[in-house]
Amino acid sequence: MKADYLIIGNSAAGLSAAESIRLLDSHGSILVLTEENFKNYSKPLITYYLAGKVNLDQMYYRSPAFYAQKNIMLCTDTCIVGMNTEKKEVISAQGRKFSYNKLLIASGGIPVLPPIPVSGGGLLKDEMKKIEGIYTLTTLEDARRLKKYIEKNHIRKAVVLGAGLIGLKAAEACLELGLTIHLIELSDRILAATFDHKASKIMEARIEQKQGRIYTSNTIKQIKASQGTVEKLILADGKQIDTNLLIAAVGVRPHTAFIDAGTIETERGIIVDKHMQTTAEHVYAAGDVASSTDILKKRAENIAIWPLAVMQGRVAGMNMAGKRQEYGGGFFMNAVEIMGIPSISMGLSGPQESKDAEVLTQEDGSSSIYRKVVIEKNRIVGLIMLGHIERAGIYAGLIKNRIDIGNIKENIIREDFGLIQLPADYKKHLVVGEGIEV
Amino acid sequence: MKKIYIKEEYCIGCRLCEIYCQVKHSKSKKIIKAFKTELDMVPMVTVEEIGHHSFAVQCRHCPDAPCVDACISGAMSKNEKSGVVTCDDQKCVGCWSCIMVCPYGVIKRKLGEKKIASKCDLCQDELEPVCVKNCPNEALVLAEEEEKDES
Amino acid sequence: MALKPRQTDFEVVRDQDKCISCQVCLRQCSNDVHEYDSDQDIIYSDNSQCVGCHRCESLCPTGAMKIKQSESEFRQNFNWSPAHIKNIYKQADSGGVLLTGMGADRPYPIYWDHILFNAAQVTNPSIDPLREPMEIKTFIGNKSDVVGVDIDQGETFNMKLKQDISPQLVLSTPILFSAMSFGSISFNACASLARAARQFGTFYNTGEGGMHKDLEIYASNTIVQVASGRFGVDIDYLKRAAAIEIKIGQGAKPGIGGHLPAEKVTEEVSNARMIPQGTDAISPAPHHDIYSIEDLMQLIYALKEATDYQKPVGVKVSAVHNVAPIASGIVRAGADFVTIDGLRGGTGAAPQAIRDNIGIPIELALASVDTRLREEGIRHKASVIAAGSIRSSADIVKAIALGADAVYIGSAALLALGCNLCQKCYTGKCNWGIATQDPYLTKRLNPNIGTRRLENLLRGWSLEIKEMLGGAGINAIESLRGNREHLRGIGIGEKELAVLGIKHAGEAW
Repeated sequence: MKADYLIIGNSAAGLSAAESIRLLDSHGSILVLTEENFKNYSKPLITYYLAGKVNLDQMYYRSPAFYAQKNIMLCTDTCIVGMNTEKKEVISAQGRKFSYNKLLIASGGIPVLPPIPVSGGGLLKDEMKKIEGIYTLTTLEDARRLKKYIEKNHIRKAVVLGAGLIGLKAAEACLELGLTIHLIELSDRILAATFDHKASKIMEARIEQKQGRIYTSNTIKQIKASQGTVEKLILADGKQIDTNLLIAAVGVRPHTAFIDAGTIETERGIIVDKHMQTTAEHVYAAGDVASSTDILKKRAENIAIWPLAVMQGRVAGMNMAGKRQEYGGGFFMNAVEIMGIPSISMGLSGPQESKDAEVLTQEDGSSSIYRKVVIEKNRIVGLIMLGHIERAGIYAGLIKNRIDIGNIKENIIREDFGLIQLPADYKKHLVVGEGIEV
Repeated sequence: MKKIYIKEEYCIGCRLCEIYCQVKHSKSKKIIKAFKTELDMVPMVTVEEIGHHSFAVQCRHCPDAPCVDACISGAMSKNEKSGVVTCDDQKCVGCWSCIMVCPYGVIKRKLGEKKIASKCDLCQDELEPVCVKNCPNEALVLAEEEEKDES
Repeated sequence: MALKPRQTDFEVVRDQDKCISCQVCLRQCSNDVHEYDSDQDIIYSDNSQCVGCHRCESLCPTGAMKIKQSESEFRQNFNWSPAHIKNIYKQADSGGVLLTGMGADRPYPIYWDHILFNAAQVTNPSIDPLREPMEIKTFIGNKSDVVGVDIDQGETFNMKLKQDISPQLVLSTPILFSAMSFGSISFNACASLARAARQFGTFYNTGEGGMHKDLEIYASNTIVQVASGRFGVDIDYLKRAAAIEIKIGQGAKPGIGGHLPAEKVTEEVSNARMIPQGTDAISPAPHHDIYSIEDLMQLIYALKEATDYQKPVGVKVSAVHNVAPIASGIVRAGADFVTIDGLRGGTGAAPQAIRDNIGIPIELALASVDTRLREEGIRHKASVIAAGSIRSSADIVKAIALGADAVYIGSAALLALGCNLCQKCYTGKCNWGIATQDPYLTKRLNPNIGTRRLENLLRGWSLEIKEMLGGAGINAIESLRGNREHLRGIGIGEKELAVLGIKHAGEAW
C-alpha cells in the first residue's frame, strides 16, 4: 500500500499531524497506522475509563465521522516491525508493506517492565501474558481487560507498582471502583519525578486518608502465582502482600523498536530538528517517541506530554505538506487531579531544581494548598501548585517566554497573582491583537 | 471576529461583570435566586485589581488556542466559523490541562457534581456578552479589531 | 473624648431578601459606609458616613438598597431648623468655617417658576420647527453701532460690510458650559465638557484651572479664564483660546477667593495651573490690580492687545445688589460680553454662610442689567450671559426673553455626568468621579459616556427651545432676546414684576 503521507500512530501527535496536513493539502492521501484496534481515543483518559468516569464513546475525542470527513485512511491492528528508509517503506507484523512519500513516526511510548522474577519461571516481561492478574495500563485495551478482570473476579485489592502519574491515576481509579490500594515505589516518596518533598507529602497524606497503603524505597522482589493467577508479592524489604491484581506502572519509554537504526538516530527518543524531521530524509517524528528541544534544559529531551505532542504533530504535519514551520521547543508540564487534589507542575521543579535556584513557596498548613515557584536568574523555571491551581498558565507563559520577573518577584507567589502584576512590556506583548489595552 | 476589548482606564472595579456572568451561566438565570441557592457559581470573567488599577479579563479566544491543543478529552474546541472557543461540559473530565497552558489565566475550575473547566463562551445567545452589556462604565467593549478604538 | 451628638443625615436601607452580598456597594463607596462580614455573609452599613450620593444604590444589581433622609428627628422647632442645629454641632466640634459644595439650596424664591412664557394664537401663526427653519445660532461679542453695506452693482453683485465686525463666538445653541476648573473637577469631566462643546458647536470654560495639555486640541471651543490667582495664564494660553473671560466673582461666593488645598495640587493640576506641585493654590478675593472700572479696562485691553483684538474678552461678576451699574461699567470698559452669575450658582467649595446668603437671584439681576444697558444705549456693545442655576430649556427661554444672549450651565452639566447634588465636592471624594482627583474615583467617569450624555442634554434642550420659539411664532432666537412682552409673572408682587420688567399673568398688551 502506498500513501503520500504515512503516519505511524493514531494518538495526539499522529492525528494532529494528519489534521494539519489536510488543511494544507486537500488531495494527498493520508494513511494512519495503529497497532491498536480502536479509532482516535484519548490515552490520558484510560484511567478515567477504568474508574467509570467516562464511557467508551467519550474516549473518542474526535467524532466518529472524523476520518471520513477529513479523508484520512486508518489501518488498525497494524503493528509496524520494520522499516526501510531507502525504499521509503515500512513493514507490519503481518508482513504488509506500506510505502510513503513522507513518513511520520508518532508511535508513542511503551510500558517499561522491571526485571522481577515470577514464581515458576522467568522474568515478569516474559511471564506476564501467561499469568492472569498482572497488567500495564497504557492502552484502552489494557483498561478494558483490567476492568473486566476486576469485575469478573470481584477483586477487592490492587497493588500498583510505581507511584508516578500513571500509577497514581490507576490507583485512584481502583479506589473509585471500591478496591483498597497499595502503592509500591522505588524512590523515597511518591511522584518523585515531578513533585518536591512537600508536595509528595501532601499527596501521600491524602492517599493514606483514603486508606491507601504506601511502600516507599521498596520494590517487588518476587511475584508468586498459583493456577495461572498472581497470588502474592514479596517486597524487597521482605514484606508480603496477598493480592490477585498487580498493575505495573513503572514508566514508559519511546517506542522505537521498529526504526531503521542505521539512518534514524536516537537519544532519549528519536532525534528531530526544529522542523520535526529525523536524521533520515522524508521521515519525521513527533510526540512521546521524539526527542526535541527542551527550552529549559537547553538540549534535546523526550517530553512525553499531550500538549507538546499536539504541537509537534502540527509542526511535523505542516513541514510534511511543504510549509516550513519551526517548532519552538517546550518544557515539561503536567496537570492532574488525584483524589480530589488538583495539581500542576512544570519546568525544573522538585528533583530537577538547581541548587542555586531561588525558591518561593506558599502553603496553607491546614489544607492541601501549596505553591512553589522556582526562579533562576530572575526567570521562572519551575512551578508546583497543589490545591489552588487557577492561573497556572500565566506562569507557563512566563517560563516559555523567558520573562524577567525581577521587579515583580514579591508578587509572584501571591494568591491573587494575575495579569495585572505582570511586567508592563510583557503584558503588552501578551495581549497584542488580543484585546487587552494596557 | 468580534472580541471583547478591555479599557483599563475606565474599569472601576465594581465587579458587576463577574456578577452578571454568574447569573447568565446559572441554572435559574435569576440574579437573587442564583446567588442565594446556587453556591457553585464561578464567574468566567475576572476583575484584577491593584490599588486603583483594575481590569476585567476573560477568554481572548486565541487564534491558536493552547487550551484546545492541551485538551485530552476533546471538550475544548474552537468553532471554525465564529472563532469562539468553548468547553463542552459533557466531555470535560476536569484534568485541568487547559488551566495549565492558558497564558491569560482565565480558565477556572467549576466544582459542581462534576468538576469541569469553566470559561467564557462570549454569551453566544445574546446580542452582546452580559459582562459588556452590564459594565456601567463601558470598560468592556465588544468590537471588531479595527473598530476597537472608536468611541 | 467628649460625647458628640449624632449627626446622621441619611439612612441606608438594605433589603436583606434582595441583597446578594456581591459587595458592589462596598467597592463603590469612598466614604467607607459599607462593610462586609464574611462570617455572616452580610453587609453592614454605617449611616453616619453616608453623604447621600446614591452611587451604591445606582449600581446595586438587585435593587436591594435605598438611601433615605434620616428619620431621626429633632423636636419640632420653627426657629431652630435641623440644619441650624446640626451646623452648630459641627462647628462646636471643629471650630472652623463650614464648607459646602454646589449652589445655594435655601428656599429663596425661584423666579423662573413665577414666570410664564407665551404662545401664538390666531393673530399670528405658530411655527413647526420640524417643518420650517428655526434659527437658534447665537453670537457672543460686541455688535456694531451701525452696519453699512457696499453693494457692487456689477455682474457679480457682491455685498461687503462697510465696518469691521468685532470678534464673535458663534454658538450653535445659546448654551455654554460654565467655568469649572481642572482641579475642582476631574480631567475626565473636563474632557467630557470639551468634547461635547466641540461636537455640538459651543464652548466650555477652563475656570481658573489652566488648560491641560491633552485638552489643547479643543482650544477652539475653549473660553479661558483670567482670575485673581492668574493660574495657568501665559501668552500661549490666551492665544490658543476662543475667548477670554476675566473672573471677578462667582455666584456661589461673591467677594470670596478660592483655595485649592495643596494635596489636590497633583502633578497634572500643577502643570495645568503652572504652580509647584503640592502647594496651596490660593486665588485672592480681589484682583490686586483692579480697584476700579478703569483698572478693569486696563486688563481688558491688555488681554485684547495680547491677542491682537482677535478674541472676545468678557468679564464675569456675581449678581450682587449693584450688579446693573457694575455691568454698565464693565461694558463701558470695553468688555465684549458680561457674565452675570446668580445666587444659586454652584461651586466646588465655598463657606456655607457665604453661598447661602450673599448675592441675588439671576432672574432679577439679569433683568436689571438688561434694562440698565438698554436705558444707557449700550446693550449692543456687549453680550450678556446669564448663569447661576439654569435648570431646564424653559429657564433658558425665559432668560433670553429677560435679556440674556446665552446661558452658562454648570450644575446641569454635572448632573448629566452623574452628579447627585450631594454637595460634598469639597471633600474630593466624589463617588461619581467628577469633583475629585483620586485616580480610583476619576476612572468612574468615562469621557466617552460623559460626552455623549452632555451632547444629549444640549440636543434635547435645543429641540425644546425650538419648540417653544415656534409655539410663540418666533423663528429666530434673535427675535426673542429681551422680548419681555412674551413673559408674564405669576404669584409675585408689583415690585418683583417691576424689576423683572414684565406684566402679571392675565394682563394683555
